[in-house]
Amino acid sequence: MKTALITLLIAPLLGALYQIVFGNRSPRRLAEVVSCAVILVSFVMATVAFFLPGQQETIVLGHWITVDTFSATMDIHCDSLAAIMALMVTFVSLLITIYSVSYMSHDHDYARYFAYLNLFVFFMLVIVLADNLLFLFLGWEGVGFCSYALIGFRYEALANARAGRKAFLLTRIGDIGLGIAISLFFVTCHTLSITAINAQATSLSAGAAMTLGFLLLWSATGKSAQLPLLVWLPDAMAGPTPVSALIHAATMVTAGVYLLIRLFPVISQAPEVLLAIASVGTATALFAACAAMVQRDIKRVLAYSTISQVGYMFLAIGVGDIIGSMFHLLTHAFFKSLLFLSAGAVIHALHDERDITKMGESVRRHLPAVFIVFLAGSLALGGVPPAAGFFSKGRILLATLQHGGMAYKAIWVCATFTALLTTLYTFRLFFMVFTGKPAVPRKSGIRAVPQLMEWVLWPLALFALFAGFLNLPHLQAGGGWLAGYLAGTPGAVADLHATPSLEWAVENGDSLLALGGLILAYFLYGPKNILGWRTLDASARKATTWLFSGFGLDRLYEIFWVTPYEKISQFLWHTVDETFLDQGLLRVTNLFPLLANTLQGFSSGILSTSIKMLLFGFAAFLIFLAV
Amino acid sequence: MIVSYGEVLGLAVCLFFMGMICVATRRNLIMILIGVEIMLNASGIAFVGAALRWRSLDGQAFVLFLMAVAAAEVAVGLALIVYAHRHTGTINGDKYNLMKG
Repeated sequence: MKTALITLLIAPLLGALYQIVFGNRSPRRLAEVVSCAVILVSFVMATVAFFLPGQQETIVLGHWITVDTFSATMDIHCDSLAAIMALMVTFVSLLITIYSVSYMSHDHDYARYFAYLNLFVFFMLVIVLADNLLFLFLGWEGVGFCSYALIGFRYEALANARAGRKAFLLTRIGDIGLGIAISLFFVTCHTLSITAINAQATSLSAGAAMTLGFLLLWSATGKSAQLPLLVWLPDAMAGPTPVSALIHAATMVTAGVYLLIRLFPVISQAPEVLLAIASVGTATALFAACAAMVQRDIKRVLAYSTISQVGYMFLAIGVGDIIGSMFHLLTHAFFKSLLFLSAGAVIHALHDERDITKMGESVRRHLPAVFIVFLAGSLALGGVPPAAGFFSKGRILLATLQHGGMAYKAIWVCATFTALLTTLYTFRLFFMVFTGKPAVPRKSGIRAVPQLMEWVLWPLALFALFAGFLNLPHLQAGGGWLAGYLAGTPGAVADLHATPSLEWAVENGDSLLALGGLILAYFLYGPKNILGWRTLDASARKATTWLFSGFGLDRLYEIFWVTPYEKISQFLWHTVDETFLDQGLLRVTNLFPLLANTLQGFSSGILSTSIKMLLFGFAAFLIFLAV
Repeated sequence: MIVSYGEVLGLAVCLFFMGMICVATRRNLIMILIGVEIMLNASGIAFVGAALRWRSLDGQAFVLFLMAVAAAEVAVGLALIVYAHRHTGTINGDKYNLMKG
């Protein structure tokens, strides 16, 4: 178990080091094989850790900082939550790394790419396994860095470099929150170990728990692209598609959710924080779903839907159902990375065309396999039974409905409406990409997709369709496996204790909602273009442009944050620095020649004067001593 | 002691000031050097007087050293003056203004 965990963590790091040192010197094939092999090793070890009995293992890898009573140890703690998360991360990473081999086959800078990709997996696993908050913070910042480096991977285009910088800076704002929270944890709990903190969570004062909860929420909104820090994620689509699939859909953006789940015993001490988390999640889910309705870039639709789905995970935490959150996190990782990877295949086949209004039936005819897996992903994302999304989203909605309080009822209504929107935009995307005539004629032709790219989609499609069976509702026999597996997690509620009739009603309601959305999408955007919205989208109108730009949130940031910041910087630069400081220093330096010129007169060089001065000085000294 | 210690000191002070005035007012380098010698000897007188006053030979021993130093100083000083005269053709101290800032 111990060896397995250490190997699991270290293998990707070694892979990254290999790529950095030998990547460009070794044969290309070897570099590709090594990058996949290390992830495969990690995946095998994660499987071992997952199935081995005797979980709850803590291993101290080393001491990082020890000062007085403060100590940051590099220790990893593996419980059922970390094991299942590590398994998911390594599984998705493995498939995406294999996909990347094919995706990057024409790029000469492959060593840098694989180095970052492996390094990312290492840092992500640090987040998953770390027991010490400071060690977790190391991984937290590490994935941020890798995300930055990979978004701007093709930095020759200025837009890509800008997108990377934007993502880096915005997530930094969230990280400040985590930094403060860590310091506060040390002050209040005198330890940074997550297990120790969770053990003494109940003894926290109400104020401390609330402050810590809000700080954790703050840090999670940055990393997980929730309101108000979500604007970086749509722009992050500038990165290569496998990167979007891995970092900006499956793993890194869910790190915030994972952090909240890990520290749930602390958060659950403050009901205000839970309500805030639920509200932020629901608002973000609704907001992003609306924005996704009108996007024309295939990857941006998926980016907004990621934001929306992560919002659901927040909502689940807010209603105290961390198993539901984790369940949705897992299913989302599968179906969203599947959708991203198949979108990548479509983009690849269409010579980097991302505009869905230029796609249509021809895509389906040329890429039948991609069509099928994309359909599987859409069913899962849209929550159509019995695909994965139906069960995980259903559990969250049920938990919300069961939660008392008027505020939660309103949240439930919003979340249910968002579920309808989700189905709608998912199938809008599906119909526009794969069916009917393109609204706008496309110039580029279609080329075949490499076999390897298609192969890795199949296991993901399988999971997207059937991952829901991991945790079937209790109505079905053998349901709730995941809930049972995660029951030991601090703060987890395995069984929602819903009455069968309520559960039945919610399940049927969700199914009807999803089917309704599907039918509506067919009428609005279907191949026959019955209501004509399909072609409507091609021309930009006022309302859609507003939604298109994500409610103008970027513009708001521009007005209220970037512009004042630039103004202040200009002021500090030109007025304070150049005029005040530089000129002031210049004046001061001008004093010295003046002083020197004055003193020059005294050194006449006449010997008798010097002697007289010497004697006078000596006399004055003696007088001073005598008096 | 026939002559009192105060009178010895008075003589030493007079000599010292005379030497000092000589150093301060004369331009001739040789005269300045002589002034310095006079000042040195003034301090020598004060030492001898003090040796007698406290019946200790230390002061007189010191004077022997002083004489040796004075002799060496005069030798070096005169040699320097000769050298300077050969180079500049003058022994007027104020003509040397190489130290002007």
